[in-house]
Amino acid sequence: MVKPIEIASGVRLVNIKTDKFKTNKILITMALPMGDEASANALMIYLLKRSCKAYPDLTQLNGKLDELYGASVGAGVSKMGDAQILSLSITCIDDKFSFSGESIVEECAELLAGMLFNPNVKSGSFGSDNLAIEKRLLVQSVLEEQDDKRTYAYIKCIEAMCANEPYGKPRVGTIEQIEKTKMTEVYAAWKNLLSTAIFQITVVGNGDADKIAEMFREKFSKIERTPCEISTIFLKRARFNRLEEAVPVNQGKLVMGYRAGMENADDNPDAVRVMVDIFGGGTYSKLFANVREKMSLAYYCSARFVCEKGIVVVQSGIDTEKEKAVSAEVINQLNDVRNGKFDDEVIEASKRSIKEGLTLNTPESICAFYASQILHSEIFTPEENAEKIEKITREEICEAAKKMSLDKIFMLAAAPVEEGGNEN
Amino acid sequence: MRIKEYRDEKLNEVVYCGKHSSGLEIIVMPKAGYDSAYALFAVKYGSIDTSIKREDGTFEDIPEGTAHFLEHKLFECEELDAFELFSRTGAYANAYTSFEQTAYLFKGSNRIDESLGYLLDFVQKPYFTAETVQKEQGIIGQEIRMYQDLPDWMVMFNLLRALYKSNPVRIDIAGTQESIAQIDDKLLYKLYDIFYNPSNMVLSIVGNVDPEQIFAQVDKAIIRKKQPVPERKFIKEPAKPVQDYIECKLSVGRKQFLLGFKEDLKDPVSDIEDEYATEILIEALFGKSSPFFKRMLDEGLVSMDFGGSLFSGYGFSTVMIGGASDNPEAVADAIKKEIKNAKKHGIDPAAFERAKRKYYGRMVMGYNDIDDCSNLLASLYFNGCKPFDDMKSIQKVSLDKANERLAVINEKCSALSVIIPA
Repeated sequence: MVKPIEIASGVRLVNIKTDKFKTNKILITMALPMGDEASANALMIYLLKRSCKAYPDLTQLNGKLDELYGASVGAGVSKMGDAQILSLSITCIDDKFSFSGESIVEECAELLAGMLFNPNVKSGSFGSDNLAIEKRLLVQSVLEEQDDKRTYAYIKCIEAMCANEPYGKPRVGTIEQIEKTKMTEVYAAWKNLLSTAIFQITVVGNGDADKIAEMFREKFSKIERTPCEISTIFLKRARFNRLEEAVPVNQGKLVMGYRAGMENADDNPDAVRVMVDIFGGGTYSKLFANVREKMSLAYYCSARFVCEKGIVVVQSGIDTEKEKAVSAEVINQLNDVRNGKFDDEVIEASKRSIKEGLTLNTPESICAFYASQILHSEIFTPEENAEKIEKITREEICEAAKKMSLDKIFMLAAAPVEEGGNEN
Repeated sequence: MRIKEYRDEKLNEVVYCGKHSSGLEIIVMPKAGYDSAYALFAVKYGSIDTSIKREDGTFEDIPEGTAHFLEHKLFECEELDAFELFSRTGAYANAYTSFEQTAYLFKGSNRIDESLGYLLDFVQKPYFTAETVQKEQGIIGQEIRMYQDLPDWMVMFNLLRALYKSNPVRIDIAGTQESIAQIDDKLLYKLYDIFYNPSNMVLSIVGNVDPEQIFAQVDKAIIRKKQPVPERKFIKEPAKPVQDYIECKLSVGRKQFLLGFKEDLKDPVSDIEDEYATEILIEALFGKSSPFFKRMLDEGLVSMDFGGSLFSGYGFSTVMIGGASDNPEAVADAIKKEIKNAKKHGIDPAAFERAKRKYYGRMVMGYNDIDDCSNLLASLYFNGCKPFDDMKSIQKVSLDKANERLAVINEKCSALSVIIPA
């Protein structure tokens, strides 16, 4: 287990010290309950990314980052269980690579902290022009979500499945919510973030983590903290129905959403992980071997496990008229897993593959691995997780498969592509 | 085998290269502290290889998409398929086909020598039957359809079709439903024999490995003898594009565009210092810290995905700039004006310096990743460069060089590709 450095109430720092990378990376992950403030929170995090007191304009801030040898700043919004996750990060090359020996790392850490704690605000405002631009960009990014039909169909299935749970809300709110967000709400969202969000600061590299911890401790000491409580609804069984949407595309997308039957995120997730991998993970999996290789129905057909919500999602790109054949085969293959119709070799292959996935070789994957544990009090290492996977038995795998219940089928059907004019 | 050693003091990295008697180039980069290794076995045979040279010096056409088709089929072996072999060690195995190469790869931390053995083995042992070839046509057919719905992909291939008249860079990597229907097992064996010859291949492996062991293992595992390298056909393109505008309707949320400036190439192979100078000048003029970007963003014409880069390879070179926009024509006009203006006044030296630092920093960052390193080493080799030539060349790029490259960008030889919401 990794022992984090406590910074403030609900704020911890995880340091993975290593000199094997050329870079230093600091990722700040923040969790808040998913609610009506989702749009204000999202707009706020992008406004924080855009500028700060020291570099009050996008061009100046980006110019500074270029000078710092292409240091890159990232901001993101996602969901983890029924929490909204905001993130802010910086990655820079190590001091030893600078042209004239100047320090890059310390300046980058201060820049990141400056963006979070000292944004470009004047009397409760981030600047109405800035907000208008960020609103436009966020609305556009929501519109662009439909560009990749694989992701779009996945999102639609999740939203339908969890319509009555916070997890079913769009990660940045709806277009209407974004558009009507007021400056006062964005400002309040920032204040609320600093005082109530759960924070994890993950530091990967050779930089001086104690110095970074000290800097954040000093910043947080000026803030009164009452960390929020986050809990996630886990539905054990589902009531099935099928939804369809027709769009003018070449290939249809079939999404099948399952409830994994878990009580919470700690309800034997490793058994579910191995089961899902045997069902639709690697090339040895049931879905790859049958739907793709044997029946030649799809280029991809795979299953994905959303541990923090107890959901499993099967996705495949197919000819629309083959939906019945593919969905029947998916159900068939899951039954085989339930009934233990798979070789011991496949269990071993799956375990090896999952453990291989836990061999982390980039700062990004290391940061993501630890950040994904923000909602848990204990922080495990990849090696510890690998040991847990190793212990999973055939019985546990079949048991996990038996608990699965199909909740939704979402079919994004291929309607003929229109040529020429805009007839409606 | 004579082994050459290359060092970069600043990066603190060493690369070992050896030429096998079969002509295969072997590149090994051990990385301290890493638990995994990433190996790439690549052949200089991509989607642009749509003809083969006959003994009399003339060229014979082959169907579009053969390199990609072969990539899919090589995973199948007479007994166990390659995926099953790799599942024994847990290594992640995959392959990809690009314009200029086909690459087979694995990444793993456990029994690396065993995985390397599988990689060398399955790529060297083709096995196709009429039946397995036919089955693959269904899978690849779905892959082609999937790509036809991806706006990023379509906006680029439409641009290439608008810019290039006969260079095969204009065709889809996977070919078309019709072209792959012409492929059979006999053709695949013939093409395998021509292209998959060790003189036309490279093995690059990076990570938790011992160079001596790797060289010894590969030395024994190569079956084929030395053969002449297949020659590529240089198709001289007209300076002007085929058309200056192309659009297509897709089910997307917003309009997307890509503007391309076609370079009139005298020589099919370009110099990497020139390439980096071009990348830096694009960044200086159109990057996130440029006044141009700020202006376009404030006017509501572009989003954060706006940006440009150089797209180049054997016989083609195009500067591409694009993103999402509600008014692509206005952005395209503004880009052309900006280029014209920069040609007149020269690139702002401060902007050049910033862009160069950024490009250098990102290059250093790339050395974190064993995947990136392995791919970089293979592509440097195919481009006739040595390890770390990238680091040397980037530091040499001068403002004069960037201005020289700017002068080559011809606003009159451009095309605009637009995706419109259906």
